[in-house]
Amino acid sequence: MSQAPGGEAGFPAMTATAAGSVRRRRRSLGGSVFRALSPYLLLAPAAIVVIAVLGYPLYLLTRLSFEQFGLAELITRKGNWIGADNYTRVFRDHQFWTVLLRTFVFTVVTVGLTMIFGTLIALLLSRLGRFVRLLLISGLVLVWATPVLVAVNIFRWMVDYEFGVLNWTLAKLGFDSFLNKDWFANPTTGFAVITAIVVWGAIPFVAITIYAGLSQVPAELVEAAEIDGARRWQIFKDITFPVLLPIFVILTSLSIIWDFQVFNQVWLARGSEPEEDYWLMSVYSFIEAFKLGEYGFGAAIAVVMVFAMFFATFVYLRQMVQMGETR
Amino acid sequence: MKRRSIGALALAAALLISAVAVSAGSSSPDRQHATKVVIWLQNDAENGWKDMVTSTNDAFKAKHSGVDVDVQYQGWGDHLTKFDAALAGGTAPDVVEFGNTETTRYMAAKLLQDLTTQTKSFPNSSTWLGALKSSCTYKGRLFCVPYYAGARAVIYRKDQYKAAGVKSTPKSLAQFVTAGQKLMKKYGKQRNYSALYFPGQYWYAGLSFVYDYGGKIAEFKNGKWKGTLDSPQALQGLNQVKKVVKALSRANKTTDEANPQQALVFSKGRVGAFIGNGWEWPYALDKKLGNPSLAKKIGAYPMPSHTAGKFMPTFLGGSDLAVPVTSKNKSLAYDWIRIFTSSAQMRTLATVGKQIPNTTTLASLNAKNPQLAAFANASKFSWFVPTAPNWVKVENARVLKNLFQAIITGRKSVAQAAKDASNQITKILNQPVT
Repeated sequence: MSQAPGGEAGFPAMTATAAGSVRRRRRSLGGSVFRALSPYLLLAPAAIVVIAVLGYPLYLLTRLSFEQFGLAELITRKGNWIGADNYTRVFRDHQFWTVLLRTFVFTVVTVGLTMIFGTLIALLLSRLGRFVRLLLISGLVLVWATPVLVAVNIFRWMVDYEFGVLNWTLAKLGFDSFLNKDWFANPTTGFAVITAIVVWGAIPFVAITIYAGLSQVPAELVEAAEIDGARRWQIFKDITFPVLLPIFVILTSLSIIWDFQVFNQVWLARGSEPEEDYWLMSVYSFIEAFKLGEYGFGAAIAVVMVFAMFFATFVYLRQMVQMGETR
Repeated sequence: MKRRSIGALALAAALLISAVAVSAGSSSPDRQHATKVVIWLQNDAENGWKDMVTSTNDAFKAKHSGVDVDVQYQGWGDHLTKFDAALAGGTAPDVVEFGNTETTRYMAAKLLQDLTTQTKSFPNSSTWLGALKSSCTYKGRLFCVPYYAGARAVIYRKDQYKAAGVKSTPKSLAQFVTAGQKLMKKYGKQRNYSALYFPGQYWYAGLSFVYDYGGKIAEFKNGKWKGTLDSPQALQGLNQVKKVVKALSRANKTTDEANPQQALVFSKGRVGAFIGNGWEWPYALDKKLGNPSLAKKIGAYPMPSHTAGKFMPTFLGGSDLAVPVTSKNKSLAYDWIRIFTSSAQMRTLATVGKQIPNTTTLASLNAKNPQLAAFANASKFSWFVPTAPNWVKVENARVLKNLFQAIITGRKSVAQAAKDASNQITKILNQPVT
C-alpha cells in the first residue's frame, strides 16, 4: 500500500518530490517532455467532460439551427438542411427585435438593482455588530438557498390579486384602488414583480462576495481620507470602489450572464404560459421550439441569444477594464 | 472472492440474455414483452369520471393477464409539449387523449397510427358523433377514436337567483345581464363576488359571443386562410363580452377557467353563475374539493343569445383517443380503447361524468336527465375552431387567450386587440405545415 503513488507513473510531475530517482529522471529529455505535457494531461479529464456535456450539445444546437425540424422530424430524427433560412426568419421577425430589446432592458435593470442593493447591504454588513451581522448573513444565505420554484410561488401569493398580502396591506394603508389589483394585467407592474423575484434571489451572492472583498480595503487609507475630511461617498468612490473593481467586474458580468437568460421566474410567475408581453429571449426560444414545434427556428433564436450575450458581456468587460486602466 | 462473483455475474447475464432471446423468438412479441401499457388521459377524467377509468383497467387486466396499465393524468396547459418531448425521447405513451382541436396537426405529421382498416373493430363506430369523427379524419383516413363531446351551459345558484328576485332563467342576453345586475346589487358588497365568474382568458366562452353576432375566427378562401376576428360582427361580439364581464365579473383577468378550477371557485359561495362543462357541475359538489351541501341549489340553462328566445352557440369541445406510431404495444392499446369506449362505459361517462358520449345511440340518456338537458340543448347550436393543420399552433401561441385578456384588462382597445389577433391567426394558419 505504501507504494500507491507508483500507480500514477504516467504523471511523474506529481510524484516528483516522492523520491530522488524520479527527480533525476526529470532532468533527462523524457522528463522535460513529460513536464511540458503534464499540464495538458492534468487538464484533459476536465476538458473531455466539458466537451462532452457542453460542446456536443452546442454543436447539435448549432446544426439544428440550420435545419427545418418540426413534429414529423421528431420521429424520423433527421432534419432537412435549409442553410441560413431560420436566421433570416429570426431577423425579419419583428417580435424578435421587441423581445431582444425587452431582454436588454430587463438585464440592465435587474443587474443594476442587484449590484446597487448588493453593495449597499455589503457596506451595511461591514458596519454592523457581530450578532446582527450574523443574523443578516444567515438571512442572506437562506434566501440564496431558496429554490426558484418556492420563491416564485411565495411571491405569487404575496401579489395575488384576491388573497395577496401586498394588496391587502396597501388597501389597509388607504390605497383602496389596490384592493383587487392584478399585478400581471399590465406588463410593467408584472415585470416589476418578476424583477423583484430575480433581484431578491441574486442579492445574497453579490452582497456576501463584496462584503468579503471589503476586508481587502486598507483601513489606513480610509482613515487617512477621513482625517483629510473626505465624505462617505468620496471614500467609496475613490478608495473602496477602485480596490474592489476586479470583484465588481466579475460580479457584474456574472449577473449579466444570469439575468440575460432568466427563464424560470417568468415561466413560473405566469403559470407556464407567459403572454407575449412577458417573453424574454429564453422564453421566446422555448415557446417557438417546444410549444410551436419549430425546433430549428427555436435553435436559431438560442444561437443568436448566445452571441448577443457574448457581445453584451464583451462590451461591458472592455469598458470596465478601460476604466480601470485610466485610473 | 472477487473473481468468483464476477464469474457468477457473467453467468447470470448470459442466462438473462438467452432468456430474452428465447422469448423474443416466440410468435407474438407484442404480448410477451408488454408488461405495461401507458395511457395519457386529461385530468377531466380524474376529476369527473375516475371510476370509468378504474373499471376499464380492471376489465382490461382480466382479459390480458400479466399486462399492467399505467394511466397518467395530464393538464391541458402543457400536455402537448410533454407529448412532443416524449415522442423525441422515444417514451411516448401507447394511448393518448387529444382535444378535438389538437388532432389535425398530429394527423398531418403522420404521428398517429392509421386506424382506417380496423374502424369497425371499435364499439359503436357506425354511430359515432359526426363532429368528433371528423376531428379524427384527415384526408379520408381515420387516426383516432372519438371519446366524448362537451357543450357549455350556464351553471348557476338557484337560491341566489331567487333571493335576488330573478324569477325565471334568462331568455336573452339582455335579460341575462339584468339578472346579473340584480345579483350584484344583492351580493355585490361581498368582496370578490361575481354574478358571472368569467376569468380574463376564457376564450371558449368569449368566442361564443363572437359567433352569436355572426362573426367567426377565420375563413378559407382561394387556398388561403384569413383571420376574421376584426370583422364588424366579431367586433360587436367582443365589445359585448367586455361589457358583460365588466358589469358582472370580478374574476381574475389574467388567468383562465382552469387555474383555479372555476367550478371550485363557484363552490366556495361567492359566485352566482359560471359558464361551464357538464362535468363541472358534479365537480363543484366534490366531497374533498368542492361543497356537497350545494347539491340542491345548483341548476343549469343554455347561455341565451342576444336574439331573444335563442341560445348562444357553444363551443363543441371534445376529446379523442389515439395511438402514437411509436407505440410498441399497438394491439393492446387498441384493446384498451375498445373497452374504454364500450357502450357500458359510455353510459357511465354520460350519467356520472355528465358529458356527451361518443355515440348518438346514447343521446336520449342526456335528454331525459334534468342535469344534462341544459347541456344537450346547448349543444344544438355550436361552433368549432377552423380545421386547419396549423390550428393547434394558434392555441399553443395563446393568441385567443391573449385577445380576451387584452380586451378584459383594457390593455388594448377591442379593435386593436382583434386586429392583432386576426393578423396573427392569418400568419400562423398559412405557415407551411411542419
